[in-house]
Amino acid sequence: MPTINFHSLLVFSVFFRVALILYGEWQDTHLEVRYTDVDYLVFSDAASYMAVGDSPYKRTTYRYSPLLAFLLIPNSFIHRSWGKFLFSASDILVGYFIHYILKKRKVPENLSNYSVMTWLFNPFTFTIGTRGNCEPIVCALVLWIIICLMNGYVVQSAFWYGLVVHFRIYPIIYSIPILLVLDPSCFQSGQKPVLRIWSAVEGDKPKDGDKCCSLYNLLKSIFTRDRLTFGLISGGVFLLCTGLFYHLYGWEFLHEALLYHLTRTDPRHNFSIYFYHIYLNYGNNTSMVERLISFLPQFVVQLVLIFSLAQDLPFCLFVQTVAFVAFNKVITAQYFVWFFCLLPLILPWSKMKLKWQGLSCILLWIGAQTHWLLWGYLLEFKGKNVFLQLWAAGLLFLAANVFVLVMTIRHHRYASIFRSVEHANSKNMAKLK
Amino acid sequence: MEASRCIPCISLLRGILLIWFPVCCLLGQALSSEMGGSADSNSVNRDANPSCDFNQFLTQSYYERFNSLDDHDFDTFISLEIPCGIYEVLPDNYKSILEVSNLQRNLIGEGSHRQLSTSIKFQTQPANSVSERISYSCQLIILERLPSGVFADPFELEHLVQRGVFRDVAVFGDTNLELPSFLSNRSAVEIHLDVDPNILDHSADINLELPLHARYQPLNESGYSTVKFGNPDVIVRCSTKENVKNQRCFFKATSDDTNMNGDDIVWRIPCGRKAHAQLVSTFTFVAALLSTIVIVCTTSSCHSNLRLYKGRKQA
Repeated sequence: MPTINFHSLLVFSVFFRVALILYGEWQDTHLEVRYTDVDYLVFSDAASYMAVGDSPYKRTTYRYSPLLAFLLIPNSFIHRSWGKFLFSASDILVGYFIHYILKKRKVPENLSNYSVMTWLFNPFTFTIGTRGNCEPIVCALVLWIIICLMNGYVVQSAFWYGLVVHFRIYPIIYSIPILLVLDPSCFQSGQKPVLRIWSAVEGDKPKDGDKCCSLYNLLKSIFTRDRLTFGLISGGVFLLCTGLFYHLYGWEFLHEALLYHLTRTDPRHNFSIYFYHIYLNYGNNTSMVERLISFLPQFVVQLVLIFSLAQDLPFCLFVQTVAFVAFNKVITAQYFVWFFCLLPLILPWSKMKLKWQGLSCILLWIGAQTHWLLWGYLLEFKGKNVFLQLWAAGLLFLAANVFVLVMTIRHHRYASIFRSVEHANSKNMAKLK
Repeated sequence: MEASRCIPCISLLRGILLIWFPVCCLLGQALSSEMGGSADSNSVNRDANPSCDFNQFLTQSYYERFNSLDDHDFDTFISLEIPCGIYEVLPDNYKSILEVSNLQRNLIGEGSHRQLSTSIKFQTQPANSVSERISYSCQLIILERLPSGVFADPFELEHLVQRGVFRDVAVFGDTNLELPSFLSNRSAVEIHLDVDPNILDHSADINLELPLHARYQPLNESGYSTVKFGNPDVIVRCSTKENVKNQRCFFKATSDDTNMNGDDIVWRIPCGRKAHAQLVSTFTFVAALLSTIVIVCTTSSCHSNLRLYKGRKQA
């Protein structure tokens, strides 16, 4: 494999994104079809309301935290592309964070750079930031939380975690694995946690008896200092933000930014297998049993993944996010970025070869998506009634997601992120003797 | 592109109406005092006379009186609320310049996003004295009452105004872009176009295209839902350049003599079939269940392999 320099990668990515943003401005002005995402215009309008002291929720379909509108206030007086530059900068920051995490775990430089490239040169990711979507900020926050945990800064990670859950609700699924990873044997007062470094050796399973998490272990030591600290601070930050914005913007904030996302059922077509079921039953009262049944697969899968894989934190978060998106009631393309930012963190530990295991995953996943998009095009732009075929394409997409998940789990070299401190110390002492 | 269809002629009872500024103002005052008791949040110009502002939207006045779009109420509003009381008569030649001789309607495009195109042809007139014609500046107001099931995106229309396609445009009524049609109300679009009376002498066509989007339709056994469009109301609003305040008139440009072609415009929108409900619900949940089982089995087997390996290592 040819050697690549990380800094040149980063510089190239920066220039590429700037060029894309400039191109986007040109396309918006000269062509009928806009490059900029509709959501970006929503954020900008909400920010302009906020800039004059009004509520950002005066803008219909603004369903985000007021913090986002606040960040985009300069759109009104610097330039309307300020937000795009901010999101693309977060995008680059994610690349930098990935590099930092892999370097900390002593992944070889080349492998690390190739992994970072799967983020920096992923067409999903560079278009999303340059089109004005806010997901790169969330990804940067999630990675920063992982970095804080790796460096043992529990309080800081709790603060940012509370903030990211306020910003976007989905990271709540990371709460249990993070709490599990704050194991007292790894996190001891006055000491930084010891990271498990990368190893190329096949079958190098943990030899130092790190605690594979189990329900029993969890219950035995559930109320440790670090876990309580994390829970209280992140919960406190979340409630503080919610309280503050409720005080400023009232019920509208609660409904648009929080409750809407929790109860969202969109009958309009999207990748989810549930969309047609929701459309056919829209307006009918769904019984509690039905609602429970639709929530159960998501719930069960998340729990099983968490309690089996939590100690390998980046991997656990990755598979959780893929499963969460796949089983969600609504799936839009921007949700894919949530797990794309975690993918580079697990690639160095994957036993999958690009040919043909890796390629089969990529091709199947993209193929299933393209297949869905074709039916979606027929429905939306040709006006043909292909609801049933579109729904079936959604089922195929779920199957592709499950295939990718299964392949990833089976070919992953499980490596917990932390090593227990006593064993690390005893190992060092054995070396000295 | 669909072939042009004919629109039936409008009622004989509607004639050309001429309204002069003083009468507008009188009516405006009457309307605003009537509205005084209603729970209307738009209180900015309550005491001003809405119709006296050249940029006022007529539909806004309608919605200030009525809560939702009803064809009968709207027809009444157009015919009666724009008063034909005491007014000065426009010069005959001027009036007839701005009469619409032909109105063609068309629905362009396929799928859920189409354009409603309207082609307006004004009557050709014998040459008039130049001094009379250039003294007026006019605005064409097209009032489009959208049927339930389609909507116009106000932000898209704003973009068109920025690009200079329309002078001004506004959407009234239900502007929620996301709800299906059985949970939303009708909306109305008012488009303002600047019109130079001088060019009308050459029997120019005015073409405009209104981008529209389909809502999700209620379920139907045939798999398609049909939405029919009616006729727009075309109103001309003119003012003299010398004295904008005192001389302004509205009149309905379409009349008995307007040639409006035949059938209604019809839009077929795909919709879900109730017959699919059982099949879809069953297989959706079966798929979710199967996926769950596969993931749980894979994770558990990998997890138990791991514990087995560690157990052997420690032994």
